[in-house]
Amino acid sequence: MSRSQRLAIKYLTAAIAFFGVMTLSGLLSAIYYINPDFLFGLLHFNIAKILHIDTLIIWLVMGFMGAIYWFLPEEFGREPVGIWVAEILFWVFVAAVLVVAAIFVLIQWGPGTESTLWLVQQGRKYVEAPRWAAIGVALVLLVFAWNVVGTALKAKHVTGIMAVLSVNMVPLVLLYFIAFPAIPDMAADLYWWWWLVHLWVEATWEILIGCIMALAVMQLLGTSRRIVEGWLYIEVMLVLGTGILGLGHHYFWIGTPDYWLGIGGFFSALEPLPLLGMVVHAVYDAGTHRMKTTNRPAFYWTLAEAFGNFLGGGVFGFMITLPQLNLFAHGTQWTVSHGHFAFWGAYACGVISVCYLALQKARDQAVVEGRAWMLSFSLLNFGLLGMVGSLLVSGIVQAFFERAIGGSTLDAFIAVQGNPWFMLGMYARLGFGIIFAAGYVTLVWDLAMLGRRAATVLAAPAPAE
Amino acid sequence: MSRGGAAMSAGAFLATSLLLGAFVLCAGVYGLLYGAARLRQSVGLLRLAVLACGVLCLIAATVVVVTPLETVWKAVIVASTLAYCAIPPVTWRYLQRTHRDHGANI
Amino acid sequence: MQYEDPIFWRAGAIATTVVMAVVLGFLTIDSVAIIAPGGSHVPEYTVINRHIGYANDPKLGRDMPIIGKDEPLFGKAVDAAEAERLIVKGKLVIQSRACIDCHTFMGNGAYFAPDLTKAWLDPAWAVWQAITGADSKEAAMVAFLMEPEKYATWERKMPNLGISREEAVATVAYLKWMSAIDTNGFPIHFGQITVSH
Repeated sequence: MSRSQRLAIKYLTAAIAFFGVMTLSGLLSAIYYINPDFLFGLLHFNIAKILHIDTLIIWLVMGFMGAIYWFLPEEFGREPVGIWVAEILFWVFVAAVLVVAAIFVLIQWGPGTESTLWLVQQGRKYVEAPRWAAIGVALVLLVFAWNVVGTALKAKHVTGIMAVLSVNMVPLVLLYFIAFPAIPDMAADLYWWWWLVHLWVEATWEILIGCIMALAVMQLLGTSRRIVEGWLYIEVMLVLGTGILGLGHHYFWIGTPDYWLGIGGFFSALEPLPLLGMVVHAVYDAGTHRMKTTNRPAFYWTLAEAFGNFLGGGVFGFMITLPQLNLFAHGTQWTVSHGHFAFWGAYACGVISVCYLALQKARDQAVVEGRAWMLSFSLLNFGLLGMVGSLLVSGIVQAFFERAIGGSTLDAFIAVQGNPWFMLGMYARLGFGIIFAAGYVTLVWDLAMLGRRAATVLAAPAPAE
Repeated sequence: MSRGGAAMSAGAFLATSLLLGAFVLCAGVYGLLYGAARLRQSVGLLRLAVLACGVLCLIAATVVVVTPLETVWKAVIVASTLAYCAIPPVTWRYLQRTHRDHGANI
Repeated sequence: MQYEDPIFWRAGAIATTVVMAVVLGFLTIDSVAIIAPGGSHVPEYTVINRHIGYANDPKLGRDMPIIGKDEPLFGKAVDAAEAERLIVKGKLVIQSRACIDCHTFMGNGAYFAPDLTKAWLDPAWAVWQAITGADSKEAAMVAFLMEPEKYATWERKMPNLGISREEAVATVAYLKWMSAIDTNGFPIHFGQITVSH
């Protein structure tokens, strides 16, 4: 393995570890809805939620970085430029995340001053980490971009995938700087904050995962580069063609001009179209390989990515994206339902797929098979579907009774939070969350044991023609 | 949503949201069935795919006729329906053509 | 065939991205002026000296904030510089306590605690005025923010976040200013119960 690939394994390992923190803090967050006195005076919902959503971003970013560091040397035919800096920064990154988590748990908040923002808590969703940590993350991202772009600039030949990845690095990294300002005007604060969040998860991250999946599919199915690159360009065109102005679906209610209702609603309504194309493509790939490869877990997780992205982002998004409907669903558990499903389908499944692919090579396995991967695949997806369905029930109740009928006051909010169907959703969400957590544990065990048990290399079905 | 338009009633909002979710879900089912039908070269599966496409169009028609969405949004739904109907066969044909050039036999 | 050449789609990807980014750029330049304090959708900070309402505008077909007669916070009007100082402080309090990770602001945030967009207009403050013995809504809000666990009205209690009086006053000013933002009608029919057919 090259240095870059060894670094990749470290990043993928850290990613899976933080995936665990996300799962644990998710369970914690769910408990508060059931037991309102839980840890009162010690640790409150907002801290549990911060741990949950911040580790979501961290584990996925580390997963992307691991995937890219894994594929870079083969794509460029050389070790990436500046890999030694990236090796050092990996430990800095992990240490910073752990220190920030400790600060969140043990210190939690500070007085309303700039020094709190620098040292303790910035209190903007997903980017709550204090500014000293945000500087660290920015540094990590800049070096990551340098590893990719710097190598591309020096390389004799740059593949189409690497060209897309390199260009994509620029907005990806620049957008992160929106994590720093504290704008007093909430309308302006949210306007720019949404550039970071949406243009990450519904634009530059889509391109990033597209590049990763392109590289994965070439390795997993032996698909030709020319085919994969053609599809990557089509995906970039359609996803950015709908997603850049689809940003407007966050600009309905935050004090922005009302032309965003039309623009945001229209482009957002188009966003599911390319996702259907991806589903059809996945069916084609699955069928032509008759569901057989030398790495079935990687393949199944890739399929889950295509279907999950469509269902979570496309179906669940379309229910609530038109402005005249979003007016009722906005800021309810319906949003939570969509968010969990979309993040899972669009990103988590893809990162897990790459973990299996990378480990197959790292542990020198001709075939990856077994029962554990099937169990974790089932538990994780069943758990996730259950959570999402539970949140949908609670969300619909909330949108209907609190917003459409109840007048959105404090009393309406409280009444609905106690509604039996709402509470049923909250209990069910916790139950399915526990199933999801069991799936996580099984996944960790399977990844840890891959290639280290005789059972993994059993008499697998013959690989595809 | 436009200037001068009144907001929906609670019931209308719920019905419209669920119909639109079913709309995209049906497009997904159609895509899946279409792909399966072409892979297995099965007339039965193709009939099911056509049925799914039919249900997709029916849901779209229901949205147009029954919901209080403004005309422009109904037009977006109609245009989307045409696009959803076209995406599976167009995608499949493109997949076949590009893979055939690389020695695939499907 | 042209459509099978990745270069064709690469050109499409570049062209589409550039066009969409340019359009976003123009819309942003326009929007930034509108969302700045004093812009058409976002009031100057000195609106905290006025009465704020929220009612349906039949011409626009949606709910709009209504800026009324003089009604300064704590009976004491503030100038533009002091109003800005309060808003800046209020936002620092909101960020330092991570309010957005329990509450929502214009529907953005976490869904464990109520949306605060129109919190200034919430009829429930009458209850807190009674239980805190405060002589005004803003005084009740300050008392609550300083000791929320003491004035809990629900099993899901807001924790004590060490909010000082100065910080609480600034936060209340912030909430009053925020309730005057034109949010294109969100939340719909605030404070009114709708009978659905």
